[in-house]
Amino acid sequence: MSSLGALIIVLAILMTIIGGETGIRSFFSVLINSLLLVLVAMLISWGLSIPIITAIFVPLKLVTIIFLGTHDYTVAKNSFYASLIVLALVSVLILGIQYLAQAAGLGPEAGEILLGHSQMPGISYGQIAVTVAIFSALGAVAEAAVSMSSGILELKKAKPDITEEQLMKSGAAIGYDVLGTAMNTIIYGMFGSFLSLFLWYYRLHYSFSEVINDKLFVNEALIIMYSLLGVLLTVPLATFLLAKGMSRQSEAKNGNEKTRDQEL
Amino acid sequence: METKKQRFLAALVLLALGLGLAALTYFKTTGYKNPVAVITDTKIKDRLLKKETDIYGNKDEERRQYLHVQVLTGKYKGQTFETVNTYYPSQLVTQKYRAGERVFVTVTDGSLALVSPKRDWILVMTLAITLSLMVAVVGRRSWHLIVSMAISWILFYCLILWDVAVNGAGIIWMFSLADIVFSFFSLAIVQGVNKKMLVTWLATLLGVFVSFALCYAVIKLTGETYLNYEMGDYATQDTRGIFMAQALLGVLGAVMDEATDIVSSLYELIQHKPEITVKELLASGRTMGQEIMGPLINVLVLIFISEALPETILYFRDNNTIATTFNFTMSLGATQSAVSAIGIVLTIVFASLCSLLFLKKPQKGGKQE
Repeated sequence: MSSLGALIIVLAILMTIIGGETGIRSFFSVLINSLLLVLVAMLISWGLSIPIITAIFVPLKLVTIIFLGTHDYTVAKNSFYASLIVLALVSVLILGIQYLAQAAGLGPEAGEILLGHSQMPGISYGQIAVTVAIFSALGAVAEAAVSMSSGILELKKAKPDITEEQLMKSGAAIGYDVLGTAMNTIIYGMFGSFLSLFLWYYRLHYSFSEVINDKLFVNEALIIMYSLLGVLLTVPLATFLLAKGMSRQSEAKNGNEKTRDQEL
Repeated sequence: METKKQRFLAALVLLALGLGLAALTYFKTTGYKNPVAVITDTKIKDRLLKKETDIYGNKDEERRQYLHVQVLTGKYKGQTFETVNTYYPSQLVTQKYRAGERVFVTVTDGSLALVSPKRDWILVMTLAITLSLMVAVVGRRSWHLIVSMAISWILFYCLILWDVAVNGAGIIWMFSLADIVFSFFSLAIVQGVNKKMLVTWLATLLGVFVSFALCYAVIKLTGETYLNYEMGDYATQDTRGIFMAQALLGVLGAVMDEATDIVSSLYELIQHKPEITVKELLASGRTMGQEIMGPLINVLVLIFISEALPETILYFRDNNTIATTFNFTMSLGATQSAVSAIGIVLTIVFASLCSLLFLKKPQKGGKQE
């Protein structure tokens, strides 16, 4: 049996024992999410339009992560809208910055990978770099949106008569925690992902100025910052959406039942 | 107290400063190994050399740019050279240059060769945008986050120096020690050294090391089947060791954050409701963990696997099967994701148990169930 297969089975067992029903659903959300990435790679390699594939798969992946991974519908719905809006904003930023950075494709460091492969694959690696950046930020944005939404909802449950203004204020406090959390996850994840590249730079005596102009490093550092930007935008937006949604809901509750049903 | 207005003002000032710094970096020509030059053409002459179809049936073009480049530094300062740049529009390994941009060049025997575009100013610009947004959103407390981030980078740099100095010997022990130090600093900066922080630290370390030991055992028991360590990119030393080190380092942030979340909430719970039972406390920790684990695992999966996307597309493009492509490009990332996921799941248990053992005071009056 392959080692990866064995690890996945161990993971499935642990998630079932510790997570119960939510755990099983989370397991599938992770599995589907990974398979979607393979699918994206295949579709792009067939020459389909990269921007269209990205536009289709971003919401698809968000649904997988958010709706399968959480069990509260209000949290999920709010997180989904917040993440979608944030990712649209971040995508615009990514498009602009990637255009300026000209850091697409593989650097000269990747010589070994390219051995025996086509160097003229006939698809735009500039567009692929944008897609990779959006997908890398997507996870962090979704996680932040879920944490924000559930944190605020808890608060609302504990204090049902809280005003929208107070809610926004507490949102900032929760946001600080969420941000701290997301930041470590992103940074160490990236360290873990690119350790060998940093060792490479050091061993081949790249100078500091060479490193910060190198294609792969620039790409990597930019991806970290896109993810942080995404999380930063999520904090106020998730709070705002949830506060709005709630006041609408409670207004409707005071009105007749019919409108309330429509709202839901 | 700072008002919203002050925060936005501070953010704007920071943004203006940052963008100014980015502009300075853009025009900076000193301190680089290679001379800096500028492309003087307002419109670059670009000619199609030939259309090509490779053995895999991929259609691409070979194009050539004819450029005029003025050198800004070094021996040839002020001189303008003519040069050509051949590129493929897919830009996998080649680079298309733009009119008016700044580039690094080398000049040998009177002929000039392009090295790469100058990219450092973009990092400064993006960093400026990120930091000013951070100030706008969280205000003065951004300092904690920025300091914590800076210290992580410094420690990471020291770690690399150390690894290279001993040439990767005992790499698993080295990175285990690194995890202990990293997590201590990160937690201490944000929370200060106190009992709650020490409990979080303990839960983090248990989560990382127990899960790592478990995964190590599983990998060994299955004989490391289909684990192509040598497919790790940019290998400069023992690839197996590097993989283990990446796994140890990659999961630390997520586990640390999860432990912080769970321990802090349970701590609050114990403060507000000292009479809470053992069962209730554990159930509460478990519920919290269930909510966090799915999205958290997905963050890492997306980081570890997205990174392999450009290569994966290249493999598919060259008519490789799904199995081959996966084995050669994504499998290491997927394995790293699985190891991290196991760490994230187990941390729920350790964070809850550590809170129970060290934070909950024994009940007076023997009301335990």
